[in-house]
Amino acid sequence: MAPGGLPRLAGLARWAAALLLALGVARAPALPEVCVRCPGSVRRWSRVALFCERTPARSLRARCCLDPEGAVLGLDLQNCSLKDLGPDFPQAHTAVIIDLQANPLQGDLASTFRGFTQLQTLVLPQDVRCPGGINAWDTVTSYTDNQICQGQRNLCNTTGHLEMCPENGVCVPDGPGLMQCVCADGFHGYKCMRQGWFSLLTFFGILGSTTLSVSVLLWGTQRRKAETS
Amino acid sequence: MAWPNIFGRGTLFSRFSHHHVVVFLLTFFSYSLLHASRKTFSNVKVSISEQWTPSAFNTSVELPVEIWSSNHLFPSAEDATLFLGTLDTIFLFSYAVGLFISGIVGDRLNLRWVLSFGMCSSALVVFVFGTLTEWLHFYNQWLYCCLWIVNGLLQSTGWPCVVAIMGNWFGKAGRGVVFGLWSACASVGNILGACLASSVLQYGYEYAFLVTASVQFAGGIVIFFGLLVSPEEIGLSSIEAEANFEEDSHRPLINGAENEDDYEPNYSVQEDSAVTQVKAISFYQACCLPGVIPYSLAYACLKLVNYSFFFWLPFYLSNNFGWKEAEADKLSIWYDVGGIIGGTLQGFISDILQKRAPVLALSLLLAVGSLIGYSRSPDDKSINALLMTVTGFFIGGPSNMISSAISADLGRQELIQGSSEALATVTGIVDGTGSIGAAVGQYLVSLIRDKLGWMWVFYFFILMTSCTILFISPLIVREIFYLVRRRQTHILSE
Repeated sequence: MAPGGLPRLAGLARWAAALLLALGVARAPALPEVCVRCPGSVRRWSRVALFCERTPARSLRARCCLDPEGAVLGLDLQNCSLKDLGPDFPQAHTAVIIDLQANPLQGDLASTFRGFTQLQTLVLPQDVRCPGGINAWDTVTSYTDNQICQGQRNLCNTTGHLEMCPENGVCVPDGPGLMQCVCADGFHGYKCMRQGWFSLLTFFGILGSTTLSVSVLLWGTQRRKAETS
Repeated sequence: MAWPNIFGRGTLFSRFSHHHVVVFLLTFFSYSLLHASRKTFSNVKVSISEQWTPSAFNTSVELPVEIWSSNHLFPSAEDATLFLGTLDTIFLFSYAVGLFISGIVGDRLNLRWVLSFGMCSSALVVFVFGTLTEWLHFYNQWLYCCLWIVNGLLQSTGWPCVVAIMGNWFGKAGRGVVFGLWSACASVGNILGACLASSVLQYGYEYAFLVTASVQFAGGIVIFFGLLVSPEEIGLSSIEAEANFEEDSHRPLINGAENEDDYEPNYSVQEDSAVTQVKAISFYQACCLPGVIPYSLAYACLKLVNYSFFFWLPFYLSNNFGWKEAEADKLSIWYDVGGIIGGTLQGFISDILQKRAPVLALSLLLAVGSLIGYSRSPDDKSINALLMTVTGFFIGGPSNMISSAISADLGRQELIQGSSEALATVTGIVDGTGSIGAAVGQYLVSLIRDKLGWMWVFYFFILMTSCTILFISPLIVREIFYLVRRRQTHILSE
């Protein structure tokens, strides 16, 4: 047997183990850190729990409601003594419902929710204003111990003027009260100046073959008899 | 008899073989392609300055940095435009300097190699300038300046070489009309460049550069394999030998004094075995050839006016009349059209007279009038286009004639025939001086416009046109004197 036989076998085993591990991870995606920001799990009968149980494919894990791909659909961080939402919070940008009541939150939340385009229900402590202000939501309801911001509005449509973005740009919602300009359909590149893709292969194919045939033709008719000096 | 060989025996066109046609077309398109890549640059200026600057759009909506403002080569589009103008000036100067050098080089090396090398290498530089830097997202002002200087030097190989090759193939009789038609190559190049650029600009400005550079490179390859530099290369007799033979046999009545200008004196048998490599003329010798200095200076003034029209006309139209830029661009084509017709027609007349200076003088005198007329053009597009065509006819025409037909005449005049190669060198000197004039003119025009207004720009053009007439006045006097003499002898002989 070759001297390298044993290490090779060991390498193979390690590789197989890695593969199995990878498959396992694929089956049960890693829990986003934001879900364990606060100990405990989603309380039964809470809004997030009710939302999650509406569809069987969704699963409750720690403080989150996850869809089969592992994206956060609901986040229940109520009663976590949070002053701010932390650096992991953007992981929940796919959330439809977020419950933050009973937290001593401070400061303006507007930019915290950048990218939270799916968010439809946001439960906040009573003294915290809805991000983006009252205009960013369909209904804002105040209760004694909390405040509910319901139904995110698309401000790109409501404000009415079309000239909100530079040429070839289009306005898209970017979270409650937030908008951003991205490239309109079919445009790409810096300042969305480019449209479509140039076919290098076709161009050089045509140019190359034309050059070749013209060169051969002219060589034959013109330079063949030329005396090289 | 006073009407020479041109139509008398229909020799002008029947004498041309398929080699002549191919040479005409190859040189025509090689210079067109060189000009096309220059035009591409001016047509993508808006896109480039957008690419180099962050977005200046003011909105309450968030503009993600990576899409809208990640490039900060220049803070604003105005600064980028200023830099692009500087690149234009740099290019013109290095082009002018390059013309002197490449003329000398062209006469010493094989014209075909020089032309082919110039086209391919300048195509590569344009590719690096416009496409590679964009693909790599590497934007640097100094790199752009350096590349454009090199491009100017390499591009300058084109004109002296193509004029020299055309001069080798097309003799003095009929040269005016052939060169007049042929000098449409610059205008055709402009149109070609504009079409190529606009057809791919939507994919990004880098593809406009890629396409023109690739086509130019391909043109260089075709030139290398297909171009015959002179009739001698395939064993045909040179045009002088031919012309000499014909004129000898058809014009027996020659007054001795007449020989001086248009009539080639008999030269030695050397010409018949012209395949042997002839020695190139030195730069100093070329400058001392009669007519080279006056025409160079005259061309400096005239090219100044001509190029100012080329560069400033669309801007003037949109600035003075408030017409849209795209419309002004389209309208300014009429100036080129006038130039092509003028060059051909005036070349034709000068062929008949066998003298070019009087035709130039008359045309330039009328140019002064047309400039005055154009400066008072009413705010009407069709009248303006008509006046523009007339101005192009009287300014672009003579300008085309000096840079092509007259340069070829000067480089093939009797003093040097058969003994040396001077065509490319002389063309380089005339066009180089002209380009310096044009480069200085660009600066002066913007200065005058800022300080004194558009009207003074036109006065400046009139002054420069008058200077052109002044510089060639010794030649005009001599040639008119000759024409009168010829007429007298002709009457006497009949």
